Amino acid sequence: MSTEQYLHGQMAKFLVRTQAITALFILLALAGLDFFFPTSYRLQAGVHGISSISALVLGTYLTHRAYALIRGVHINFHSLRYWLVGAAGVNFLGAVSGNWIYMRYRGQDGPKDWILANVPAFHNYLMEFKEFISLFPFPLMLVAAFILFYYDEAIRARRDLTQLVGILILLAWLFLLMGFVAGLVLAKLRFV
Amino acid sequence: MTEKQSTEDLSKPEYTEQAKVFSGPAIAATVSLLLGFYTLMITHHISRLSKEMDKFIHSYGYWIPGSSGVGPDGSIGSYSGKETLALLVWGLSWAIFHLLWRKQDLPIRGWLPIFLGGLLVVSLGFIHPVVDPIILLLIDIFG
Repeated sequence: MSTEQYLHGQMAKFLVRTQAITALFILLALAGLDFFFPTSYRLQAGVHGISSISALVLGTYLTHRAYALIRGVHINFHSLRYWLVGAAGVNFLGAVSGNWIYMRYRGQDGPKDWILANVPAFHNYLMEFKEFISLFPFPLMLVAAFILFYYDEAIRARRDLTQLVGILILLAWLFLLMGFVAGLVLAKLRFV
Repeated sequence: MTEKQSTEDLSKPEYTEQAKVFSGPAIAATVSLLLGFYTLMITHHISRLSKEMDKFIHSYGYWIPGSSGVGPDGSIGSYSGKETLALLVWGLSWAIFHLLWRKQDLPIRGWLPIFLGGLLVVSLGFIHPVVDPIILLLIDIFG
């Protein structure tokens, strides 16, 4: 490799990382600014929004690793399993903070009351779906991490097991995305 | 393939490792996941049958902060009981199936379509326009 090619490679790597970090921070502002909204429940809203966006960004990154697993490409399982623990962690935080903000959602004159009075289908169909499927990504990520920890290096000998881990990651991402979009629609409709 | 090559291949670490790797624990972990999700769905529909049933499901979740209460701050109500029961079923079934299958090699590629189908059905079970006619039919049949 020539010096010029090497420098271009390093520059691309730097730009890719900068782009990802910039995207993460800009997306985090989507929920981070909730902390300054004129409501008594800004803390719940901010924490839930930040944990959900972090979970989605991390989940999306992990889908890239999932395709490598499904294709059977040689990857660093030790690194991946810690990423999965991190993903399970932010998803757990997302579920716990979801419980926290759900209290206000159901509270007196809260978003649920308003939605039921104005557009009931958004609660009866969308929220009733969202509140349950949003609980799926945490256990899916946890099980994927468990499999990598349990089998350790021996997993390399079993392509079917690595594919299962890849599919678990993709499923977690799918439920994350559905829960995220449903949550965003409900928050746009009536904020806490 | 010659006999010599075949013996050499079998002595590779990959093959000796494969003999020790059982898929049972991975299947146990995913079966229990599905059981936990189905518990969420079943308890959700049970809680919708009557106020008494809702209270019954709710009673399992009193330990969760914010599970009860009224006013602007609200509470999560019987959702807490559904979460608790799902966690119990998930954890207990995982432990039991793990112990039962830890030394068994079960077919992952056979299980995968069942797992994915199960996830699709449980997801549809949370879409009221889809599942409510089935619930009403079951109420008609079983009273």
